[in-house]
Amino acid sequence: MRQYRVIGKPLRRVDAGVKVTGEALFAADVKLPNMLHAKILRSPYPHARILRIDTSKTEALPGVKAVITGKDVGPIRFGFVDTPRYPADQYPLAIDKVRYVGEEVAAVAATDEITAIEALKLIEVEYEPLPAVFDPEEAMKEGAPKIHDEIVPNTTCAWQDWGVGRAARPFKVERNICATTSISYGDIEEGFAQSDYVREARFFVPATSHAAMEPHVVVASYDPTSGKLDVWLCHMSLAVKQYWLSKTLGIPQSKIRIHGCYTGGTFGGKIDLFAHEFLAAFLSMRTGRPVKIVLSREEVFMACRLSHRMIIDLRIGVRADGKIMAQHVKLINDPGAYRGSSPVVMFLAHAFRIPIYDIPNWKHEGVGVYTNKSICMPRRGHGSPQMSFAAEQLLDMIAEDMGMDPAELRLKNVRKPGDVLPNGDRLDSCGLRVGIQKIIEATGWKEKRGRGNYRGIGMGLSAMFSGAMYYPFASAAIVKLNPDGKATLFTGQSEFGQGSDTAMSQIAAEELGLDLEDIVIVSGDSELCPIDLGGFLSGGVYVSGEAVRRAAEDAKRQLLQVASEMLDVEIGSLQIENGRIFPKGNPQKGVTFAEVVRYNIQKHNGDPIIGRGFCKPVPEVEFYPSLTKGAGRFTDAYGFIVAVAEVEVDPETGRVKVERVTIADDCGQPINPANVHGQLLSQVVMGVGDALFEEIVTEEGRIVNASFEDYKIPGVYEVPEFVHIPTGTFEPKGPFGGKEVGEGARAAVIAAIANAVADAIGARIYSLPITPEKVLEALEAKKRSR
Amino acid sequence: MKRLISLTVNGENHEVVVEPRTTLLEVLRDALGLTGAKEGCSLGNCGACTVLLDGKPVLSCLLLAVEAQGKEIVTIEGLAEGGKLHPLQEAFVEHGAVQCGFCIPGIILSAKALLDENPHPAEEEVKEAISGNLCRCTGYSNAVRAILAAKVKEEGER
Repeated sequence: MRQYRVIGKPLRRVDAGVKVTGEALFAADVKLPNMLHAKILRSPYPHARILRIDTSKTEALPGVKAVITGKDVGPIRFGFVDTPRYPADQYPLAIDKVRYVGEEVAAVAATDEITAIEALKLIEVEYEPLPAVFDPEEAMKEGAPKIHDEIVPNTTCAWQDWGVGRAARPFKVERNICATTSISYGDIEEGFAQSDYVREARFFVPATSHAAMEPHVVVASYDPTSGKLDVWLCHMSLAVKQYWLSKTLGIPQSKIRIHGCYTGGTFGGKIDLFAHEFLAAFLSMRTGRPVKIVLSREEVFMACRLSHRMIIDLRIGVRADGKIMAQHVKLINDPGAYRGSSPVVMFLAHAFRIPIYDIPNWKHEGVGVYTNKSICMPRRGHGSPQMSFAAEQLLDMIAEDMGMDPAELRLKNVRKPGDVLPNGDRLDSCGLRVGIQKIIEATGWKEKRGRGNYRGIGMGLSAMFSGAMYYPFASAAIVKLNPDGKATLFTGQSEFGQGSDTAMSQIAAEELGLDLEDIVIVSGDSELCPIDLGGFLSGGVYVSGEAVRRAAEDAKRQLLQVASEMLDVEIGSLQIENGRIFPKGNPQKGVTFAEVVRYNIQKHNGDPIIGRGFCKPVPEVEFYPSLTKGAGRFTDAYGFIVAVAEVEVDPETGRVKVERVTIADDCGQPINPANVHGQLLSQVVMGVGDALFEEIVTEEGRIVNASFEDYKIPGVYEVPEFVHIPTGTFEPKGPFGGKEVGEGARAAVIAAIANAVADAIGARIYSLPITPEKVLEALEAKKRSR
Repeated sequence: MKRLISLTVNGENHEVVVEPRTTLLEVLRDALGLTGAKEGCSLGNCGACTVLLDGKPVLSCLLLAVEAQGKEIVTIEGLAEGGKLHPLQEAFVEHGAVQCGFCIPGIILSAKALLDENPHPAEEEVKEAISGNLCRCTGYSNAVRAILAAKVKEEGER
């Protein structure tokens, strides 16, 4: 184990103080002089033509400053995916048709919120309801309602804007199919032919809500004299918001400032550009006044994206000796009325699974299908929870057929350090094997398994990228030495609870030989901070952290150079400790950072010492991997998770209680063990909600549980005991050995709970969530089959 | 019909003009600039808007401002004294009970009401006290530990 000064210490979060006093600024807390409040009129229909909108009564209401409809905004396209093959398919305001309940139809800006709400009631919209379709398999049939016409791009696509020299092509929608994926390697038929045990099953995963405690908010203020737009919003990537606001509003990126403020939880649910963010800016440009939009919790459920619904047909073949020979996945993804992240999630459902097991023959086919429902986007794990729920269960089923311990089956197939994946990704660190071995010991796995009496234990494995090639393709950082010898760090990472402010500061402090308190961090502000990948795809530590380390290293190099001159000692003979530089073994002779900075300013033409660093998610490749074919490098390092859940099932009520979850995680060297523990505990509790009760319920496309009254998320009583077993790995390419930790575990937890329930009741449940009704049904079916 | 009311918040008197339908949360956040209380759902389901009314936790998104007249209101901004964190706040920092921070003011105030009433709560009582506060980030356990530890700390100072 390497010894560090700051890294690996459970130091207090740098943002904790302002968060316990209420001082921390969130977008909802921003109030500007002369600010207007806007509200959005949303579609009450899942599918309807807009025949006429009359806003004249609204405009006449005192206090109303602007009313806009799709006609005012025009056919501006945006979307999470905007590639040559898949052009963006959304509009900020519906133009001629609405495609889901909650879609944005008109917006009003008024002097106060109440007036804006009153004003919405005065907008007259005449709809012609159209036949709607809610089931993806129905939607693919000939003669199903047609949700989209051909999607014809009217501008460059995001790929082109970020340097890929291929223009967007029109997208012809056939049978409501919005995306397809087909990835394969090896020979799938041959693989099954060589298998002695083959099982197949169909699994269902419903949509869920991210349910971050902070509802989505935007404040936008456009200054016509300078052409500048100031924005405060909930985000997890400056680059994505700034790019899309620039593109849709026609304002240069440099003139859009995303202000630094804290974001109240994201879990993937704040990555997209949302219509309300565009609309606030558009209304501010139109009125010349700041405009604020605060969404209600119901609006967040309807219009701020859900996790992806999936139907997964899975077939796995295993040889008698336990070697997995083939895996065939056929998945149907229902992203709702717009494409959302459909091609991405179908790709990731593959990409997050291939680093786990060495399976020589693999076929992964996916089809994304439009339906008249709310749009789906990434949620913590993005495809991994869905696919892991299916794959980890099917492996257990095969192990049962074989009479083999499922942990043993996993040990025989998990990848090991040094493995190269079919796409070329190399695993320089991989704690799966050691994780399984440790967790078997720690949980008493062998004794607890199959003990009956409605108590069960189950295992789940998952993996996650540490950043990937997605625009803006890079993270950079600046470390500015101050005259007092302390440093200010500028990073485009933004703090939404994951602990990036603390982790980035610790990395800078470690590299410079300073204490955490000596670093002042400026983050999450597009005008002050350099380019950054942001906090999605889990590249925070691995990519942005490495950029921070390199910036600090650059500053340190300069400090050493000047100190060498001051002390007349070669750089190689100098040592840094505690803000001082001195000849090795002679600390008395040293100079402080402050002295070095002041000396440099005096002697070297005012140079104050500023370090810069940058990093790319995958240094060797230029652009994205192919989502459709799965070709190209995905990431440079994977985080791995082994989870074991212990449950007790009440056979009378069908209720499942998760008693304990143990996680053996491989996040490389923990930057801050307290934060690592916090991220894992967070995912354990979140996973309990996913496994047992979270589900978006719709009737005719309308979400009927769009409140915390009806959509339960885990509360303090749902928290199981959590045991954390670090695997003690080290990622050689990561900053101080670190990699992903905040996203991957949720999938393993859900899978482990599902397997534990099966162990407890001796029957399988193939759909999430595992409700008491399903448990009772499974017990009944088991009884009948006897 | 607007009316002028007087509210005592964190020991200070404020006169504010409100409508009968104005909630205490709206007054605190919009009129008084005390934005520590958060709006998470507006329906009383999440607890992010929790403040203390005569020492008892209330959901300020459901309470009308006019109903809070003549009562002692304490918000998260009223806990630290002279720049020194309240032992509960200190314990939340110490025990890593904070992630995104949006729900934290509400949880701390629910906990304060408990400790003021019952300085020696058992773990189950702590859980009960914060069972109306939802948190999506932290998984609650560290908050429970922090509250139990804050109890000890306060005793140590006495």
